[in-house]
Amino acid sequence: MIEYPILSILIWLPIAVGLLLVVSNDISKSLSSNITILTTLVVFVISFELFQSYDHSYGNLQFTEKYKWISGLNIFYYLAVDGISVSLILLTAFINLLIAIFASSEEYDNKSSYLGYFLILEGLLMGTFSAFDSILFYIFFESLLIPLFLIIGIWGGSNRKYATIKFFLYTLFGSVLMLISIIYLADLANSFAIEDFYSLTLSFEEEILILLAFLIGFGIKIPMWPVHTWLPDAHVEAPTSGSVILASVLLKVGGYGMIRFMLPIVTDAGIYLSEYMIYLSLVAIIYISFVAYAQEDMKKLIAYSSVAHMGFVTMGIFLVFNLLGNNPIAAEIGLEGAMVQMISHGLISAALFFCIGIMYRYSHSRSIKDNYGVAQFMPIFSFMMIFFLMANSGLPGTSGFVGEFLVITSSLGSSFIFGLLAALSLILSASYSLKLGKNVLFGDNQHNNQGYAECQNNEKFVLGLLIIFILYLGISPDFLFNLLDKSVNQIVTSISIGRI
Amino acid sequence: MLDLFHIPEVIIGIGVLFIIIIDLYLQKHKYISYLLVQLLLIVAGYFTIIGGLYPSYDAYELSNFTRMVKLMLLALSLIIFHYTYKHLVFINKLKIEYFTISLLGLVGTIVMISSYSLLMLYLGIELLSLALYALIGFNKDSGLSSEAAIKYYVLGAMSSGILLFGISLIYGFTGSINYFEIAENLNTIDKNSVQFLGIIFGIVFITASLCFKFGAAPFHIWVPDIYQGSLISTTILLSTIPKLAVFIVFLKLYFIPFLEFKFIWSDILMFVGIASIIIGSIFALTQENIKRLLAYSAIANIGFIILAMGLVSVDGLHASLYYTIVYSITALASFGVVTHITSNSHGIEDISDLAGLSKTHPYHAILILITMLSAAGIPPLIGFHAKLMVIQALINNSYIMLSVIVVLMTVISAYYYLRVIKTIYFEDRENLISSYTNNNLVLTLNVSLLLVLGIFPFIMFDISSYLISLMTVISI
Repeated sequence: MIEYPILSILIWLPIAVGLLLVVSNDISKSLSSNITILTTLVVFVISFELFQSYDHSYGNLQFTEKYKWISGLNIFYYLAVDGISVSLILLTAFINLLIAIFASSEEYDNKSSYLGYFLILEGLLMGTFSAFDSILFYIFFESLLIPLFLIIGIWGGSNRKYATIKFFLYTLFGSVLMLISIIYLADLANSFAIEDFYSLTLSFEEEILILLAFLIGFGIKIPMWPVHTWLPDAHVEAPTSGSVILASVLLKVGGYGMIRFMLPIVTDAGIYLSEYMIYLSLVAIIYISFVAYAQEDMKKLIAYSSVAHMGFVTMGIFLVFNLLGNNPIAAEIGLEGAMVQMISHGLISAALFFCIGIMYRYSHSRSIKDNYGVAQFMPIFSFMMIFFLMANSGLPGTSGFVGEFLVITSSLGSSFIFGLLAALSLILSASYSLKLGKNVLFGDNQHNNQGYAECQNNEKFVLGLLIIFILYLGISPDFLFNLLDKSVNQIVTSISIGRI
Repeated sequence: MLDLFHIPEVIIGIGVLFIIIIDLYLQKHKYISYLLVQLLLIVAGYFTIIGGLYPSYDAYELSNFTRMVKLMLLALSLIIFHYTYKHLVFINKLKIEYFTISLLGLVGTIVMISSYSLLMLYLGIELLSLALYALIGFNKDSGLSSEAAIKYYVLGAMSSGILLFGISLIYGFTGSINYFEIAENLNTIDKNSVQFLGIIFGIVFITASLCFKFGAAPFHIWVPDIYQGSLISTTILLSTIPKLAVFIVFLKLYFIPFLEFKFIWSDILMFVGIASIIIGSIFALTQENIKRLLAYSAIANIGFIILAMGLVSVDGLHASLYYTIVYSITALASFGVVTHITSNSHGIEDISDLAGLSKTHPYHAILILITMLSAAGIPPLIGFHAKLMVIQALINNSYIMLSVIVVLMTVISAYYYLRVIKTIYFEDRENLISSYTNNNLVLTLNVSLLLVLGIFPFIMFDISSYLISLMTVISI
């Protein structure tokens, strides 16, 4: 067992280093990127230690830190983790380490601030995944907007002003409604601790309204159709690392919030509305896949593909509502599928945005037709990219397959039609991924060489690590299941005992 | 026995006269006069701390409560004068009269917050208003400044008339101007009598006038024009010290003499509050001038304060007090940064004047970033906690729909705060921005207070709880 306050260190170490980097303007680029790599490495080691010493045989909260924070309002500084949190913390630490390594060879004005904002973002993400006091959670959740807003706004593309404001207001709108629900629940429960909300008995109308507020708040974050439109804009304008962190970790905050808040608190309303929410997820999976196919812009294509993949996550979560009464085993499978899908999409989308960033550096264009025929100049890069595209389309053996397979299996427990429609995505995602691969990598190069050169060593290292993990997760996902099993089981059983 | 020369308002009042005379002989060394002004504030603060209390509440209150409020007012003035002096030197408009007039206004606010009778309150308000008329018209070269002064003078005089009319109605129907006696008389009043109606009219008139002084909708029309016309240093003053004083007046007036009639003023205040939030948030969207923008932002913030007070509950009261203090610090910081910079060799007027600030002056840019995010209510800054308290008070009192409207308005208002940040950080265009310092300790502390208090919000919470516990007669 670990004696020191490991969660607080995970949160405040990167934030402190990040603030220092933001404030100190005149340190050299290489020094700032070395500091960033070192910090993210330390954070990764600590979070790996957390993973190692996390007791898999219990699903309850571990590493609890609880202090009075605002005593008059009964708000606590309350941190803890369960298996779901640990897996996302591990993902955050890993992706941030990769970003630090990748960004070390990138050129930016005022690079130390750039890296500093990423470190702050990392700390806030850790906080979001480990806060168990709802106000503390909300504070971390909403503070996430600030560094990302600045990263996209300062270092983003030409249309960044529109994109950042849209992104900020969209997510703020969703989260303030959530804030009202949290305060309302806290008023009833006389406590802001999330677990105290679980035992509340709410009237049906209250549950419906609170569910809608959570659905809007987290649905915008994840994002669900039809509130996804901020995501492609934000992705297109974001710098490479910004896109990576946005796609691979920030979207997961929405899914995490749904699991933490929606599932246990508003179960009855969820059961009542589950079919409609599953329809919304299916629209995201199928319709958005078609939208993705039509994109000319590589980043937009991957952004829409993210929305479609997140459709699987929301579907897995909402299937729990649907299956709770008659088939709790399938419900657990669905929830685990959602979790695995989140982790896997975190790795794959990160990899794809890294790849696009590398090509953009040479061609200065995100459009598919400006990047035809990269393979002849960058063979190793092309091999890796085609692997990531395959993983994105859910090829068996890669992590992309595991999550989708679990969600589809679980949906068959509910209705054949759901399963069929969800399975369509395997074809659709393969079609847009392969379209991207065919044109970009092997297209007929009508233009002159844009100056493509094989990617640098640190980039190869980053992409190589991603390949290893995607394969590892695809071939033996056991370690993830061990981590998640008890926690998922506990959530599903507690809500089915509590409500039915 | 109370020594009259040991209470701060008397000390300031006399000290101002001395400084005016001394300044005549120190025309070349205005810095010394300025130091004397600051010294006067510190001396007044010292005597506020050690000065005696006066147990009886005839017309004037000298209690622990007023002592704390006075200290806050003096501290605010100290910081504002610090910004003002540097700003006036920077734009070559330094006159020590500016400070002496401000000090007289400060005396006015101290009288307002200490008054325990309606007439004393009127005197305090008039003293403050007279000082403000002069300060607003201080920028003699600018037509806007003169226009603003005349506007404020005419409207202010009218609102004073309305206040006096309300006071005379209250006096006529209760036979007293002392807060405590009014409260006793109102307890025994018959609901079907003429007096009852008359008192309601009196309260409505007083409320209207005070809302005007507060700058709350629908009595807000003067605010943007006056903010725009004044020097930025006057705008800081306008948006902090009178607001805090009027808030304390609200608190004392409604929760001591008029508490029995809360059924009438509670609804009025809730309406005024929500109207101010809506008008302040929506009208600010199209503003190009930063002072007008901050004026509308002030209206929206005042709305939060009044709305929370209109709840007539302990948590509402707490929230409004908390919000007021937070608002004062935020306003001080946001205007404070703007006093430090000029763009294209004139003071900052339009938001677009700030474009490119982040590249030439990263220090100022980051300060504006923090203040704007705090004003928008984004955690972990203190502005979030203030809004949280108000929303929580609303929900605890079962005003769910109202709280939804309020948070939607905060989303709308976030847009214009973000616009300022966008201009500073994301615009490529560059202005010729200059600043006299890249490192002002007071300003840095002022701004970092927003962050530090946001991370340790219990400090502010304890302060406002303490203030509430000091209030004399509160029985909601």
